[in-house]
Amino acid sequence: MIVRHFFIAVTAATLVVGSCGGDPPPPPPAPPGPDMDSLRAYQDSVQEAEEEARRLAAEEAARRAEEAARERARQGAARTLVQMVFFDYDMSEIRDDAASALRAKVDILRASPQVQLRIEGHADERGSTEYNLALGNRRAVAMRDFLTGFGLSESRFSVVSFGEERPLESGSDESAWSRNRRGQFVITAGENAINPGN
Amino acid sequence: MNLPLGVVQSFGLRWTVTLCVSMGLLASSGFAQERDSLPGVSLGLVYENQPQPALAIQPFTGRFGGADLVDDVEVIVGRDLRNSDRFEVMDSIPAGLVGDVVDYTLWDRLGAVWLITGQVEGAGEGYILILELHDVVYGQSVERGRFRIPDEADSDFRMAVHRASDELVRWATGDPGMAASRIAFTMTDNQGNKDIYVIDSDGENLDRITNYRDLTLSPTWSPDGNKIAFTSYKSELPRIYELDLRTGKENMLPEVRGGGDYITPTYHPDGTTLAFAVTGNARSGIFTYNVERNCCLVFLSGGRWYDLSPTYSPDGQWMAFNTNRFGDAVPQVMLMPSRGGDAETLSPYEYGGRGYFTAPDWSPVGDMVAFHGSINRGTYHILVASVSNDGRRLNQLTWEGNNEDPSWAPDGRHLAFVGERRWGFGLFVVDVATGRLRPLLAGRRVGLPDWSPALSAER
Repeated sequence: MIVRHFFIAVTAATLVVGSCGGDPPPPPPAPPGPDMDSLRAYQDSVQEAEEEARRLAAEEAARRAEEAARERARQGAARTLVQMVFFDYDMSEIRDDAASALRAKVDILRASPQVQLRIEGHADERGSTEYNLALGNRRAVAMRDFLTGFGLSESRFSVVSFGEERPLESGSDESAWSRNRRGQFVITAGENAINPGN
Repeated sequence: MNLPLGVVQSFGLRWTVTLCVSMGLLASSGFAQERDSLPGVSLGLVYENQPQPALAIQPFTGRFGGADLVDDVEVIVGRDLRNSDRFEVMDSIPAGLVGDVVDYTLWDRLGAVWLITGQVEGAGEGYILILELHDVVYGQSVERGRFRIPDEADSDFRMAVHRASDELVRWATGDPGMAASRIAFTMTDNQGNKDIYVIDSDGENLDRITNYRDLTLSPTWSPDGNKIAFTSYKSELPRIYELDLRTGKENMLPEVRGGGDYITPTYHPDGTTLAFAVTGNARSGIFTYNVERNCCLVFLSGGRWYDLSPTYSPDGQWMAFNTNRFGDAVPQVMLMPSRGGDAETLSPYEYGGRGYFTAPDWSPVGDMVAFHGSINRGTYHILVASVSNDGRRLNQLTWEGNNEDPSWAPDGRHLAFVGERRWGFGLFVVDVATGRLRPLLAGRRVGLPDWSPALSAER
């Protein structure tokens, strides 16, 4: 557009300069005047195209932001799904804090029917090696039963115990033990189909 | 299954627990009725206070090319006889008492009751060890035997000498020793993985059996000593495998419908069947599977609770096992017929108590079940319950640190277990009769020992 204005200005200037010499040459045939209609149409189309591009860019940005938000929500939901829960010493009962952590998984699982979870039960190092395998399994089953109690199908869960063999913390005091008596969750199917739900 | 119960005389600390709950449970079983009149359980020391007979070993001699290894053979035999805990082995032998001539009068004056003499002879391939047991008091030879032993470079050399030692013990006491046996156990590496290892009863020949660098645990010997079954996570989920030690061939036990963890295998004394626990299945509890015919999965006991860690009586009629049916925090040891049926409590369960008792192992020769536990959530100790008809006693064998997972030696008199001390973990051996304790392997992260049967020469 700027280039176009410049061209018109230069043409006009040439005409003015040419008219004040000596012998006037025969006047060249007047160049055709600019076709103002098509110029305007052209300018309009350019403007339209620019507006369209801006609109598309904004739409794309919005779409991307939405996607990012969805992905963030999906990742947040995935984090909620694998959030660990903890148990009291030698118990497989679901504590209050564990119940809220498990309850948070229920809505996500309900909204994401393709997702399957492996529930791992762990024990602290105290007590017997073999009995702790059984205790870890009791904890895993307690967590699964809590989830299926909300109507989720048992087929979406598998349980396994690692007893005292895979501690989270290596210490031999209550702060380590309390972190080692836990349930862990592994998403074994449908990781990309996690729907955060409402 | 009659055990000389003289060895379980209780004295010293005496602690009585009323078995009201378990008595109620066993009212309907015939096995239990025999025991209805039992006074209760006493907890105390078991140790014999009578002195052990003094035994002397006259320095062995070598003949016809047997001189090369005579010292090594004598050292192994001497250590085996000490480890048998049946004698006071005399340490200082007068220098003059060498050669093949036996001077009973002199040995008698030195206080010996038994005397061992030995010669090693070259025999073309390998050697012949001639051992003789003498009764010093009566001044006569009691038994004499010839034992073929291979060259020292042969992997069976030490085991062949151990078998000769076990015969000496049998000559002197009527019961075989346990020197010719090995102990399987787990060792944990720096990554927290467990693999199975085996060590001789005298602490020599540490061998690695599995190398999966995963969780592999709960080894258990087949009654013929040729196989070890265990649980491994090597294919992600805990499953039971049977490993043939001669061929290296390995089989996985088939899975029950509905998944679950497969843990704590043990062999029936006839070797045909493995009993084990499945947990996390709709049907959790103890199952058996016939490994000889590869068939016949049978559910024995369990349900909403978990029964696990089964162990058979030597006649195969009974089974002791661990259960959480009284609550997760109070596991108990129970007995039931080995085909399933009413169970009775063996550990001193008290309603509302905090006793924690796990890891039973039934003696291969007698009416005794070892397990470990804690009466009131303190430290864990090795306990031995007698299940004979003439009274039930519970005896505590350890008093220091934490002590877990006892396993009987083939002599039904020694137990291997894991001891946790201030300095770390170790495998220990305790003699149930004298209370004598000996470290077997110290300073490693060891666990879940299982003592082999007597290992014969055919292996």
